Amino acid sequence: MLAYLVRRLILAVLTLWAVSVLSFVVIQLPPGDYITSYIAQLSATGSFVSQQEAEALRQQYGLDRPLHIQYLRWMGMVLQGRFGMALEWGRPVSEVIGDRLWLTMVVSIAAIVFTWLLALPIGIYSAVRQYSMGDYLATFLGFIGLAVPSFMLALILMYLGFTLFNANIGGLFSDEFSGAAWSLAKVWDLMKHLPLPALILGLAGTAQLIRIMRANLLDELSKPYVVTARARGLPETRVILKYPVRVALNPFVSTIGYLLPYVVSGSIIVSLVLSLPTVGPLLLRALIAQDMFLAGTIVLLLGVMTVIGTFLSDLLLIWIDPRIRFEGKP
Amino acid sequence: MSQKRRRMTRREFLRDAALATGTVALAGVIPAPAIAGQAPEPKLGAQLIGKLEGPTIITDPAKWPKKFNEAPMLAELVKAGKLPSVDKRVPEEPLVVKPVHSIGKYGGTWRRGFTGPGDSENGNRIVSADKILFWDYTGNKVMPSVAKAWKMSDDGRTTTISLRKGMKWSDGAPFTADDFVFWHEDVYLNKDLQPTPHPDFMINGKSGVLRKVDDLTVVFEFAEPNYLFVDILAGSTAMGGGQALQQHAGRTMGAYTPAHYLKQFHPKYVSKEELEKKVKDAGFDGWVALIKNRWDWRLNPELPTLTPWKTVTPINNPTWVLERNPYYWEVDTQGNQLPYIDKLVMTLAENLEVLNLRAIAGQYDLQERHTSMAKLPVFLENRDKGNYDVRLDPALNGSDATLQTNQAYEADPEIAKWLHTRDFRRALSLGIDRDQLNETFWVGVGVPGSIAPSETVPYSPGPAWRKKWSTHDPKQANALLDKIGLAKKDAEGYRLRTDGKGRLRIELTTSAGAFIPHTQIAEMIKEQWKKIGIQADAKEHERSLFFTRINNNEHQIALWANDGSEVLYLFPRHALPVDPVEALLGHPIARWYASNGAQGKAPKDPQLLKAMELFRSAGGKKTQERYKIAQEIFKILVDEQFSIGTVGQSPATMGVRIASRRLGNIPARQINAQHARTPGSSHPSTFYYKA
Repeated sequence: MLAYLVRRLILAVLTLWAVSVLSFVVIQLPPGDYITSYIAQLSATGSFVSQQEAEALRQQYGLDRPLHIQYLRWMGMVLQGRFGMALEWGRPVSEVIGDRLWLTMVVSIAAIVFTWLLALPIGIYSAVRQYSMGDYLATFLGFIGLAVPSFMLALILMYLGFTLFNANIGGLFSDEFSGAAWSLAKVWDLMKHLPLPALILGLAGTAQLIRIMRANLLDELSKPYVVTARARGLPETRVILKYPVRVALNPFVSTIGYLLPYVVSGSIIVSLVLSLPTVGPLLLRALIAQDMFLAGTIVLLLGVMTVIGTFLSDLLLIWIDPRIRFEGKP
Repeated sequence: MSQKRRRMTRREFLRDAALATGTVALAGVIPAPAIAGQAPEPKLGAQLIGKLEGPTIITDPAKWPKKFNEAPMLAELVKAGKLPSVDKRVPEEPLVVKPVHSIGKYGGTWRRGFTGPGDSENGNRIVSADKILFWDYTGNKVMPSVAKAWKMSDDGRTTTISLRKGMKWSDGAPFTADDFVFWHEDVYLNKDLQPTPHPDFMINGKSGVLRKVDDLTVVFEFAEPNYLFVDILAGSTAMGGGQALQQHAGRTMGAYTPAHYLKQFHPKYVSKEELEKKVKDAGFDGWVALIKNRWDWRLNPELPTLTPWKTVTPINNPTWVLERNPYYWEVDTQGNQLPYIDKLVMTLAENLEVLNLRAIAGQYDLQERHTSMAKLPVFLENRDKGNYDVRLDPALNGSDATLQTNQAYEADPEIAKWLHTRDFRRALSLGIDRDQLNETFWVGVGVPGSIAPSETVPYSPGPAWRKKWSTHDPKQANALLDKIGLAKKDAEGYRLRTDGKGRLRIELTTSAGAFIPHTQIAEMIKEQWKKIGIQADAKEHERSLFFTRINNNEHQIALWANDGSEVLYLFPRHALPVDPVEALLGHPIARWYASNGAQGKAPKDPQLLKAMELFRSAGGKKTQERYKIAQEIFKILVDEQFSIGTVGQSPATMGVRIASRRLGNIPARQINAQHARTPGSSHPSTFYYKA
């Protein structure tokens, strides 16, 4: 058991190192560097920088040095717990991401909770009343939710919100709160803005969950222990919820780990469309601007989350499933 | 094409989808682009383009007010003893401005949108009054700004500027010639901060010198005549651009800087240990990074500035907030210290759709940046609901989508030969139906023609040159192409290469993410060129890849706007290949020019060479002569068609202005140009809330 954990841990560290190298190299792959994209951006928006200024900036940021030197410099900083300066933002990377990380988690967790609250009851209903009108309706709506691209849904809902309700457009806060310090009023403001992104992000995952729940439960429902429970005269809701649903939930529990990176990165496109101050748009902007410290740190963070998530789900599996726990033992 | 291109198309779709959701309902307000081939309704532009107007600067001291008033929020501070009285804050010689419509009222918060830390220009332009000299509202006449007056010696070697008596930084410290000297000696001449001298402070490769005469007088001296220097001090240049613009995002120019504040971060004035401690505490890599951060007005609320508003919440936050400068040195004709508006709050929009939708909803009070011409129908539809007016401010440059032929292209000798052939370039130009482009992409408000700037600009060679070789004449185009030896065609009617390698294909290189949809424009030109038997391929690139390819000398013809070329001497890079940062007519040629022939390659074409030599000679010439030379250069460029103009003088870039009806002193039309720092030359400090 301990050897198993240690082996997983060593593998995790190696994976992370590979992720750091890959992310840094991949970000550097496109032609040009941060300064090229800075020049291009200025020119496209009616401004400019001179050749002399561009060269001075390149020197200051160390972009004129070879790739491996730049990587070592970055890694040196990462190991000291600093992640460098976000070039475009003029602030330490940790601050830039930190601001947004909590909001991203709030939005993603809200979306996950929404998905589960919607999908699990519907899944159970669809399985218990298989091939009923309700089953068909839920399945149909679920698939529509899956088929409509969520950014499209975001655009439409945003436009309707504006034309019908004159609602605030995009974002997670009203104007008066977005710069303000945290207060109860600000939290309430956040609560008011949360349903829309949670709904949009959640709907896409709902159909999938409904189908998994339905299939798992259908497998269980026909098993003898269910028949026995019924024969013993237990009430129907207790028969369903107490036994087969619990078993059907197992696959969900074991995939909780995979949700971790999702919680951090959320959905980039939807966040962008809804103008949510989350990590997704930050990553996209950093990649376009070729800000390798910022983009590299976010990618590294996602890597860490995936590794930790997988590790956690391994542990959960061991805990839940005796077949894994006692593997190789007589 | 392949993957990259397909991806862009999806992004395009994304970008347009929000508009689509709106426009479906209002097809019929103006003809949709798809059916724009037919004649549209009477010019939409005519209703929305007003009379050019703006505030005037009173230069006669006899007409200046003697008593000063201040905003209520400052009066309270004075009462509480936290601020000196207004007559001690405003200089004895203020900048006196007569607002365009009326004396305003104090108060209010100007709501605006911005797109993140890269969108510095959004604020830079609003506070651009900190320039040494500036232009009047027409963009043609130099006016005082930070400097009260200027004088150039007859030989053009010295330019003297006089500062305002009693002028102060935003923290109350006096603003004097020492702030110029500190910039020159400790910033500009410091190799760590400024590794190489800057061309804006040089003439013919020789650096200028800055000298203090007395506390209120500064002299700029050059070894050779530099008659252009007054324009440079007034332009959006490294020397005259002002502190806010030239000392942000790591820049080091601007000609003056708050010495009393910055000395604490400069190794010449503090001990090594102390400075190292400061650098470490702030988490920077070295003192250079630290001082560049401290003099960045967007990032450092403590920085003393000369701007009408100064940052209180930095740009790298969800809102960028500016508040009035209590020591601002501009007053109206009744002695009211400006600005009228207390505060600016810019809210972050993660993408342009959201920004435009918020503008449509009336959530911004004044926004001319990032508002897109393609959204015009939706803006108009919602203007009463959102309580705003829509105004269009056409720019002065000739062509928003210019086909820049690479005059240094080598990769394909056959193509290179044709790009060097004058009649070939002329034929390509005559094969473009500019009216169709105008109706489709500029909703009919642009002006079709060559690259020559608007006739209101003194550099304009005259109206005839807007049309020369720049009308739609496929017949003449075909005759020209037949004549130069491209008469042979394939079965589909496309002309063949002369080296026997099949069809002649010209690549049009475009970039995604510009204010103007260059790729779609290129696709339409490709269709139009079928009539002259020329096969074109439009290839879209990500923005920085686009520039990388141009710097690698890989493009044949690239599409880009020629904005800024209307002030040829201050910003030549979109007209002539003289600046390696952006050299769409040939990167090697620009390197040759910038290095005085040491690197790169001279232009092969004698006419291009002549235009560049004319350009180099102009700096040492007086104003009227300079105008003539510029006209001469534009005549060569238009006649030769190195750059093929399509449609310009349009509001596509920063010219779609959404202004709340609650605001006063909003000009019916303002000059839309980089050198005028739009909306800077309209003096945003005079805008006010009527109620």
